[in-house]
Amino acid sequence: MNGSPFIDIQHVSYAYPQEGREQPVLALQDVSLRIQPGEYVALLGHNGSGKSTLARHCNALLTPTGGRVLVDGMDTSDTRQQRAIRDRVGMIFQNPDNQIIATVVEDDVAWALTMRGLPAQLIRQRVEEAMEAVGITSLRERAPQQLSGGQKQRVAIAGMLALRPQGIVADEATAQLDPLSRQEIVALLHQLHERFGLTIIQVTHFLEEAALVQRIVIMEQGQIVMEGPPASMFADLERLRQLKLAIPEPIALAARLRDAGLPISWDALTIESIAGEIAR
Amino acid sequence: MTEPIIVTEHLTHIYAPGPQQKIALNDINLEIERGDCTAIIGVTGSGKSTLVQHFNGLLRPTSGRVLVNGIDINAKRTDLKTLRQQVGMLFQFPEAQLFEHTVFADVAFGPRRMKLDKREVRRRVQHALDTVGLPHREFAARSPFGLSGGQMRRVALAGVLAMLPSVLVLDEPGTGLDAEGREEFYYYLRHIQQEGVTIVLVSHDMAEVASLANWLCVLHQGSLVMQGSPRHIFAQGDQLRKWGLAAPPLSELLALLRQRGLPIPEETLTMDEAFDLLRQGVSQRETR
Repeated sequence: MNGSPFIDIQHVSYAYPQEGREQPVLALQDVSLRIQPGEYVALLGHNGSGKSTLARHCNALLTPTGGRVLVDGMDTSDTRQQRAIRDRVGMIFQNPDNQIIATVVEDDVAWALTMRGLPAQLIRQRVEEAMEAVGITSLRERAPQQLSGGQKQRVAIAGMLALRPQGIVADEATAQLDPLSRQEIVALLHQLHERFGLTIIQVTHFLEEAALVQRIVIMEQGQIVMEGPPASMFADLERLRQLKLAIPEPIALAARLRDAGLPISWDALTIESIAGEIAR
Repeated sequence: MTEPIIVTEHLTHIYAPGPQQKIALNDINLEIERGDCTAIIGVTGSGKSTLVQHFNGLLRPTSGRVLVNGIDINAKRTDLKTLRQQVGMLFQFPEAQLFEHTVFADVAFGPRRMKLDKREVRRRVQHALDTVGLPHREFAARSPFGLSGGQMRRVALAGVLAMLPSVLVLDEPGTGLDAEGREEFYYYLRHIQQEGVTIVLVSHDMAEVASLANWLCVLHQGSLVMQGSPRHIFAQGDQLRKWGLAAPPLSELLALLRQRGLPIPEETLTMDEAFDLLRQGVSQRETR
């Protein structure tokens, strides 16, 4: 690929600080990964595989014990650059309640900008745009704690968008949501990717959320064990099962029917496309 | 027929009665059959958690009645201690509530508070640990904090089981676990149900519900809007969407195939059933 990567993870190792005499456990072991500007990557793996630890290296929330991470050319271990890096790569987390600060939605979206002392006029304009982009304009005067989980995640995303980032890391952002809200948040991430050309790194253990991404990266024991476009990842269901990932039933059914002789394309990964193939 | 283990009659619960009041539950009538695994489903704020908190007297009805084993939870002489021992509750992320130095001490916490003698406490703890797949010889002396997330959650479950409840209420038991952790947890839950414990599941994860429950109650804005078997409920994908829910992905796929004219019976639920139907379709095409 041409051009320099947006996020360049080079031989990164990471050990969580340990108490007392215990041996430090390496949460990441010599991980290298280059993410291009505007790419949509799903980071998968079971609990404890290291996927969240790796994601947190993408905006300097964690810095490597060994190796280095460059974001837009800036080294995440350089404390003077961390503010700029976090403005460039926003992060949303699993529990929407922990990300809400203000008592009114629009103040919450404006929070980071206000803290940076930007002119009121500019803040107002950015907040308007961010609320519009995630579809919460009509909720502007509501109290965040009265919103549903999915709406709270939208508020968190808007607050991040107001900073005009180039990338978003969504760390299990759908794990605690209702099924419909889950689908809506994933659809929103895809929209933001297309509309603003944002780089998206989506951490999840739901394979079905990864069907439409550009590249899937699967972690196991602190290392990258599989990597490629979704169709090639889903071609080896047995391997995915070994990696303790739940195979979405429609995809498992498609594979069984293919094995039984039905001509179903390997590229059919969404419910709609699988239905299209079966009913052809 | 035995009588249901839990019955609600015109159960209404209002938070903060007055001008700001919020009707959390509105005239709920339902029965939970002994030995069943019943799932209460609905989006966040639909009233699921409020409903189940009536089952062990954590909340009391604003009006209407809740009967557990035929006993009115609101009656003056009802012993809440006994009620809470009968109806065990496992809240969301229960592993966050582990606090003792050893797995044994954590599971023994409830039985010890019941002032049971030492031998009985030990017997119950050992049995509870074995039941959740954490053999006591291997796990009792370990620190709960060195275990995996799924194992920690099962320690919390053992703590509830050590009280020998006849009903086990679980709030989103699979949330936050990975595929393997979930499957293990579900395996032990099925086992617990086979031992005769009635299970009530609060969930918005339809895959979880599909794999465990044999009866579903759908709550929407505090009202019980539908109940029935998973086969019956999951065949109504469009209706579920209006309540913010989605049928499991396989049911959604089958609904799309039906729309495209394939003759798939409404009550098809499992992967094997779907496979058999569709494979037959293949052989018919080949012989044509």
